[in-house]
Amino acid sequence: MAIEPKPGLNGLSVIWSWVPPAAPEVSRVELGLQVEPFLTGWNRAIARGTSVASYEVALKQAPPRVVTIRIRPPAIRVRSFRFPTPLDPALSPEAGHVGQVCAPLPVSGGPATRIAPPADVVKLEDRLHYLLQPPLEALLASHRLGFPRRPFPYQLTGIAFLYPRFSAVLADEMGLGKTMQAVTAARLLVHAGEVRSLLLVCPKPLVANWHREFALWAPELPVAVIEGDQSRRRWQWGLAEIPVKIANYEVLQRDREVFEPDAAGRRLHFDLVILDEAQRIKNRASATSQAVCSIARRRSWALTGTPVENSSEDLVGVFEFVSPGFLSPQMKPTRMGQTVRDYILRRSKDQVLAQLPPKLFRDAPVELTPEQRATYDLAQNEGVLRLAELGQSATIQHVFELVLRLKQICNFDPATGASAKLERLEADLEEVAASGRKALVFSQWVQTLAELGRRLGRFSPLEYHGRVPPSRREAVVRRFRDDPDCHVLLISYGAGSVGLNLQFAHYVFLFDRWWNPAVEDQAINRVHRIGTEGPVTVTRFLAIDTIEERIEAILAQKRELFETILSGAEGGCKLGLSEAELFGLFNLQVPTSVASAAA
Amino acid sequence: MTDIKSKASIGFLTVVADAEHGLFGGYLVVNPAGRPLEFHCTAPVKPNRAQEILYGPTLEPYLYGEQIGQTLVRKATHEVLAVCTDRQPVLAVRDFVSVPVALVLPPESPQAVPSATELDNSAFGLRFNLPHAGGRLLTFELGKNRLAVPLGADSDRALIAERLDPLVNGFDLLEPFQRIREAIEEARRGGAAGQWQ
Repeated sequence: MAIEPKPGLNGLSVIWSWVPPAAPEVSRVELGLQVEPFLTGWNRAIARGTSVASYEVALKQAPPRVVTIRIRPPAIRVRSFRFPTPLDPALSPEAGHVGQVCAPLPVSGGPATRIAPPADVVKLEDRLHYLLQPPLEALLASHRLGFPRRPFPYQLTGIAFLYPRFSAVLADEMGLGKTMQAVTAARLLVHAGEVRSLLLVCPKPLVANWHREFALWAPELPVAVIEGDQSRRRWQWGLAEIPVKIANYEVLQRDREVFEPDAAGRRLHFDLVILDEAQRIKNRASATSQAVCSIARRRSWALTGTPVENSSEDLVGVFEFVSPGFLSPQMKPTRMGQTVRDYILRRSKDQVLAQLPPKLFRDAPVELTPEQRATYDLAQNEGVLRLAELGQSATIQHVFELVLRLKQICNFDPATGASAKLERLEADLEEVAASGRKALVFSQWVQTLAELGRRLGRFSPLEYHGRVPPSRREAVVRRFRDDPDCHVLLISYGAGSVGLNLQFAHYVFLFDRWWNPAVEDQAINRVHRIGTEGPVTVTRFLAIDTIEERIEAILAQKRELFETILSGAEGGCKLGLSEAELFGLFNLQVPTSVASAAA
Repeated sequence: MTDIKSKASIGFLTVVADAEHGLFGGYLVVNPAGRPLEFHCTAPVKPNRAQEILYGPTLEPYLYGEQIGQTLVRKATHEVLAVCTDRQPVLAVRDFVSVPVALVLPPESPQAVPSATELDNSAFGLRFNLPHAGGRLLTFELGKNRLAVPLGADSDRALIAERLDPLVNGFDLLEPFQRIREAIEEARRGGAAGQWQ
């Protein structure tokens, strides 16, 4: 192809945009045309011969340059975790629901109670195992496990607290359902295949209660109560096919050798041991504590409404079972509270049961009758004088005897039977009976209760204390509940402070005061608990200007200690009822012999 | 059906996007009670610039489904009846696994699923999303759960309904994804680095 070049105009560049890459080789062809110019004289140049110039352009292009980008798939690195296969026997469709069925637990869109891994679980696989558990609401619903009633949200929180823990103290206030929470958490662990053997240890009067609670909240779990003579008990301890065993503290002490290794080095082992009323082991040196701590176990749960009864050492004793060596008596209460925070769950009714009726405290200070006052003053003067005479040989026992004597006079004058408290109580009980309500009257002495029984006959009082045989006690409670003429249950702190559900009563009278406010709380909570209808009125009798007032001041200090440890609040505390305080009740110094013995 | 109930497990697969580190995949296999049987999670995956440019809108289905999803599902030892996800791009994993895959939709937000009209009107959607991510969805309900499969995957829908229906009564299929997210976060915090396979 020949293209005639276009010369530039007036020095400007060519108007074609395309320029040959190199100067073409130009060939010239003479056309040889004859030109005959007219002789005009204009320009002889046109007389020259005509020719056409041409050149060649190569159209062949160089191949385009290619850039290759390799797209490799990203490297996917995976971490895998595999968990134990749950048993979930209730999942088969044939199993249907196990136990009674309450309304379905909310699952979709409802509140979700999650199981959080405890702080002391450090292995990632273990933490994920707990973290990946479904919300309790979903777990309970999908299990088709029946419940006699829908658990309260705070109870689900308690179950979620216990479930992942190998060391735990559930210290809810009495009446919030620690039993149900412990049974349900244990039930889920059994179904998850994490617990195959469980030992529940409780005070003897509560064995039947725990048996009932297991039947109610975990009816599919076989339960054996360890009881009977030694050979029978030994046989029961060996029942491997029964996952749940219930024993009382006394049986545990008697059967201590069961927990020791045999000749082959094998020993009875439990995946979970639950202690009810765990304050029973607050004294680490006691035979009960040593028997409990000798049990080989993986998980240790303690249930108590009063982890601190008298001093912070009580909690050290409980933790000797829960997590041996975790606490020491030298720890300050505030530090102790911080240390155990992840191990203890404590809720009060005020915190979690907004719907529970109020508990109204009414202090009833009474002036002793003249007869009582005379007897009291005489007894006190003589007693103090005697203590002073004893001097260095005075013991705590001497002081206790005097305190008890004076407290009994505050109840009744032994000579005349006069009682300012009784007069006030009778007036109150008239109202109780007139309204068709029922009341509990607590005292620490059976003798006082018996006297009250005689004097309050028109209210058809019933008695529940250590002298009532255990076999008759349930009938007493049943009659108190069902007989509309029975308005008063006379009950001792010792027999009636734990394990009784008396929420059909509305009034509690503390005729005399116990040494420990925790025991008083337990007594009050026989009435003020889930199921209570209407407010509960608690009347605390206090004889003015007597030993009772001075003891009350010490009880207040104990409450302060309890709050310091369990709430983590700052502030000092004083240990309750020390030797010095006991002697101080009568303005006496602790004898040197007692002080050195205590040290 | 009894066999399904007693032996079955369900897989839950999701991908968490972290602006700093990239994508974390998590796959949880649970039994019908919702209890965890196994859990697999990935180290963070971050596409390079070339992948971002060249894959364009198909990058998410590629990474979420083909790469992360496929790898995780194949790591599991338990057979599952179905795989559930809460991220639509993960549906692309269906081309690489033998079990049906369903998207679990939040009950309160029907707008979360783009309508077919929206996609048709979008040149972007027409050009890339439909063939790769299955942009059009077929929604259906199972118990109280709203599920979706890619349009045209009718057989998957039938399969999922048949397999999961006996199990999901009272089961919130969205809930396990919260567990996976927490577990991924825990694994990140828990020093899983150096232990990836």
